[in-house]
Amino acid sequence: MCATDAVAEDSMKRFDVEGIAILVANVGDGFRAYPPVCPHMEEFLENSGICAGGVLTCDRHLWQWDMKTGEPQGPAEKPLLMYDTKEEDGQVMVLIEQELEYEFDDDDD
Amino acid sequence: MKIEIEKKDQSFVFEVMQGEKILYAGLRAGISLPYECATGTCGSCKARLKEGDLQSGWPDAPARKNLKTERQELLMCQAEATSDCRIGVPAAIKPFRQDDLKPQHIKGISSNWRLLTHDVMQFDVTLPDAISFHAGQFFVVKTPGVEGFRAYSMVNYAPETNVLEFIIKKKPGGGFSEWVFDDKRGKDLVEIFGPLGRATFHPDENHDLFMIAGGSGIAGLMSILQHGSEIDYFSDHQATVFFGVRTRKDAFFVDQLSAIKRKFPDNIHVNIIFSDEQVTNGAASDLGALQPGFGMVHEAALAGIAPGTANTMAYLAGPPPMVDACIRPLIMDLKFGANMIRYDKFG
Repeated sequence: MCATDAVAEDSMKRFDVEGIAILVANVGDGFRAYPPVCPHMEEFLENSGICAGGVLTCDRHLWQWDMKTGEPQGPAEKPLLMYDTKEEDGQVMVLIEQELEYEFDDDDD
Repeated sequence: MKIEIEKKDQSFVFEVMQGEKILYAGLRAGISLPYECATGTCGSCKARLKEGDLQSGWPDAPARKNLKTERQELLMCQAEATSDCRIGVPAAIKPFRQDDLKPQHIKGISSNWRLLTHDVMQFDVTLPDAISFHAGQFFVVKTPGVEGFRAYSMVNYAPETNVLEFIIKKKPGGGFSEWVFDDKRGKDLVEIFGPLGRATFHPDENHDLFMIAGGSGIAGLMSILQHGSEIDYFSDHQATVFFGVRTRKDAFFVDQLSAIKRKFPDNIHVNIIFSDEQVTNGAASDLGALQPGFGMVHEAALAGIAPGTANTMAYLAGPPPMVDACIRPLIMDLKFGANMIRYDKFG
C-alpha cells in the first residue's frame, strides 16, 4: 500500500489500489485501513476527517471513532469497517479480500 | 398519507399532510428525524425512498448535489409525499430531550420592522398563543409570494412568549430578504414551523460558554445571553463572545451586548472583530463595553481561548465556512470533545 513513513503518526492518507480507495491511518503502534467514507452520510474522510489523540472525528456531524478499534464514540452510531493490515520491510500491507462498503441503512438486507 | 420508517428493531409511522415536508411531519409527530438546517442546504436529512411516490421539492436545494438519484435518495426537508411512502433513514432515531417542545406549524403576523444596519433588519412575528423554546433555537419562516422556508434563529428569550424576534440580512436576489426589505411591507401573515435546532442552552448543564458568531449568526447567541442574564447564570459562569462583522457600519446589538457585559463585568467578555476595517473604541466608533479586534473572527477567537477547558461549551453560529473553520482547531488544538461543540450553520 505505502511505505511506513508515508503516513505520519496520528494522521491518515488516502490511497487507491485497483479502483478501491483506502484510508491508511498511523495509530502510533501500527497502521489501520478503513473505507474512504464516513459510515454516516458518506462524506470523504480524507477531507472531513480530523485525527487527534487517537480519535477520528468527521467534521460534518461530529461522529467519532477510536482509530485503533474503529469503535464509535460520542454521537457516532456505527463503527468504522477495517481491513487487516501488517507491516513488512518498511511497507504497510493491506489485505483486500473484497471492497468494504457501509450499508446506507441497516434494514436493507 | 402515511410515512413509514423501518429501523432494525422498531418502525415509525406518521401522518403527513398534503404539501407538508416529510421532515416537518415527522418532527411534529415527535419522531426525532435527523436534520440540521431544515431548509435544503446541509443534507443532514438525506433519506431513501423505498416505496411510494413523492415530489422532491426545491430543485435547486444546495444539498441536492450530493444525492444519488439512482438510489432514490431525497431530502426529507424538501420532499412532499403524494402517496403512502416507505423510506429509509441512515441514522438512529432517538427520542427528543424530555424538555423539548414538539415543533408545530403556526401562522403569525410579522411586524415592527426596524433597521439595525444598512443591510440587517429586525422584525417580530406575533403568534396567537404563547409558546416555549430553548435559547439558541430557530424557526423556519415562509412569507407570502416567496417559495419555500428559510431558517431564522430567535434573538429574544422568555420561558413563554407569543412574540418571536428575528433578524435578517439583505441578500441581493434573495427572494425572502427582498420581501423583507421592501418598503411596502407592513403586517403580513407568515407561516412558521418550529422550534427547531440543537445548538441550545440549558442552564442545568452548568457550562461556561465560548461563543463565535459571524454576522447575523449572533441572533441565537443573543437569545442565550439574554436567558443567562435574566437568571443570573453569569454570576458564577463565564461567557466569552467573539462577534465578527466587516466594518463599524455593519455592527449591531452593540448596546445590548454592552449592557449584558456591564451587568456581569467579571464573567462576560465580548469581543467584536472587524474583518475589513481597523476600529478602535472611541467617541466616533462608540463600541460601549465591547473589546474591538481586527481580522477573521474565527482566528481571533481561537487565539483568544486556552486549551483544557473541559467544562466549556462552544457555540458556533454563522456561514458554513466559518463554522467549519472553527471545528477543526477546536478539536485538534483546543481538545474540545465533540459533545462540547454546538453549531448552527446557515447558508
